[in-house]
Amino acid sequence: MDVLGSMLHGFAMLAQPEVLLYMVGGFLIGTFFGAVPGLTSLLAIALLLPLTYSLDVTVALVACASIFMAGMCSGSITATTINIPGAPSSMMTAIEGYPMQQRGEGAKALGHAALGSMIGGSIGALLLMVVAPVAAEFALLIRTPGKFALIAFALIVIIISQRGSITKGMIATLFGVMIATIGIDVMQPVARFTFGSATLVQGIDIMPLVIGAFAISELLVQADSRGKHTVDLDQVKATKVRRRDFIPPLSEVREIGLFRYLKSAAIGYAVGTLPGAGGSMAAFVSYAEAMRSSKHPERYGKGNPEGIAAAECANNSMCGGAFVPMLTFGIPGDPTTAIVLGVLVINGLQPGPEFIANQLDLVAPMFAALFVSALILIPLTLYLLGPYFLKIVSIRRDFLYSSIAVVALVGSYVATYSTFQMGLSLVFGVLAYFMRKQKYPTVCLLLGFVLGPSLEEYCRRAMSISDGNPAIFFTSPDSLFFLVLTAVFFYFMVIRKPKDRGLGTPPAG
Amino acid sequence: MSLKRFATDGRLVVPCALAIITLIYLVDALQLGPPMRNGNMTPSFFPIVISVVTLAALAVAIAQAYRSLCRPSESEEAEPQGVSSKAIVVALITAAYLFAFDLIGYVISTLAYVFLMTLVFGGRQGLIAKLVGTVIITALGFALFELVFNVRLPTLWSQ
Repeated sequence: MDVLGSMLHGFAMLAQPEVLLYMVGGFLIGTFFGAVPGLTSLLAIALLLPLTYSLDVTVALVACASIFMAGMCSGSITATTINIPGAPSSMMTAIEGYPMQQRGEGAKALGHAALGSMIGGSIGALLLMVVAPVAAEFALLIRTPGKFALIAFALIVIIISQRGSITKGMIATLFGVMIATIGIDVMQPVARFTFGSATLVQGIDIMPLVIGAFAISELLVQADSRGKHTVDLDQVKATKVRRRDFIPPLSEVREIGLFRYLKSAAIGYAVGTLPGAGGSMAAFVSYAEAMRSSKHPERYGKGNPEGIAAAECANNSMCGGAFVPMLTFGIPGDPTTAIVLGVLVINGLQPGPEFIANQLDLVAPMFAALFVSALILIPLTLYLLGPYFLKIVSIRRDFLYSSIAVVALVGSYVATYSTFQMGLSLVFGVLAYFMRKQKYPTVCLLLGFVLGPSLEEYCRRAMSISDGNPAIFFTSPDSLFFLVLTAVFFYFMVIRKPKDRGLGTPPAG
Repeated sequence: MSLKRFATDGRLVVPCALAIITLIYLVDALQLGPPMRNGNMTPSFFPIVISVVTLAALAVAIAQAYRSLCRPSESEEAEPQGVSSKAIVVALITAAYLFAFDLIGYVISTLAYVFLMTLVFGGRQGLIAKLVGTVIITALGFALFELVFNVRLPTLWSQ
């Protein structure tokens, strides 16, 4: 009853003008960043992070949720119309959407994408509301050795999900852990790796790392892009879209079938709960499963609405799933939820089993925002703004990136009113740029940074409990469970690699 | 494969640079004291373990990079691995902006920074539009932080 009351309270909060404004504003920002090739909703949330110092935590979480949902959906706009996915999670949508665009059915493809996103996002949000409190109850049973094994499991899965670059994923993750060790030790009042700098004694905040790794490095990558993501403006101008074309025919929706939507949403949600998987993996797995189980697999790759529905339904459902491990265990599964964790930490809140039990009222508006964004804002935005969506890609790069640079750098200043944070952002930005150039996943860097301190703390606490005997990790049932789970994941993801049925490797993110 | 190519190719340079950073980290970790004391882990234990594992992974990455550079077909077909001059310029302009931001405040430094960034990303065409855009972006940034989020931005006279 308490849970239901909190959820209803969350929906009621959305009716407050300020919260509503941030939800709608966040959704539009997410749509913009998702639609522009090269920008992602992750960057939008990264830019929002410094501003959360000045925002109420509920408002900040609501804005993050709506940006997240909008970014997942809006990547399909350019994926369909000009064959350049606005976000990595829309790559599978481009495979089916662009052929539809070529035969004059681009608006219908966008309609299918929006419908799939709407259904998937809504189901994902509902599952989050139901599962998160239950998962939190379960999480209360995990003790110190189990917490260490769980975090180790998350980090190892994040690393091995970097298919094709596991070594680089491991290096990036360990670098994140190393950066997190700068400052006061997690157990004793000992300063580490300060190199004589008094400013480093208090450690490195998540904010400069996020701004550096996702905003500054993006600027450097874009400056270095050498014509990548070049948009054919003539093609954009030639594309005329009418509002009524967005509504997918009922016959096609029936052909896709309710079961397909539900199945894709379930796949997306499940993938979302896995550390390191993200929207791309969700869309990839769901698309592959839809093709495998389709009555007409030969239609795939030639503009099949079923493929669009499966991919978009899954990547939006993933949004709900990704919040479960972050809120219940304090383990973010992807970079977006890692930044949302940063929002909570900035406001003095630490997610975990007790967090859901004691602070559900605080996060319930975020759950509600995910649901409302999916169910109402996705179709509404497409219908009202759809004909103008394509104009987004013709925005001037010089003004766009200059604005991003100012928001990112001045945002870094906000935290401490010190240019030291801005300098750190630049240092991390340059580091992340070189790492990205050589395909070291910066997502791993962030997740290593976020999870590293807990990994060390629980490891040392567990060893302290057992008087230095590491056997505690094998004799404690919860720890043993996660170690076995790690071995199972390692076997299926590394030793017995999944077949990709000729679809290629899903991109990171 | 020339020595110069080895020394400038990012595939090899990046893991080598990361290995140097890790070595410095490891040396500092060792200076924190022994990793175990009375059967308990000390503040140096975890950093030592992490840096040793990182060095092992970097050794693998360096070996992989070396092998791929030695394969003539791969090294010739691969994309250029250097850093573009534009990226260096953006990094330098940004560093200068941080210095100027502290010294002369938000308005003047941001005007200069935004204008230079528009030149880097958009070339030298349409300078009037760039100037107008620069003023608008700077004003919007000021409005966003100072007025909406109540952040006190540095000014020339507050230094």
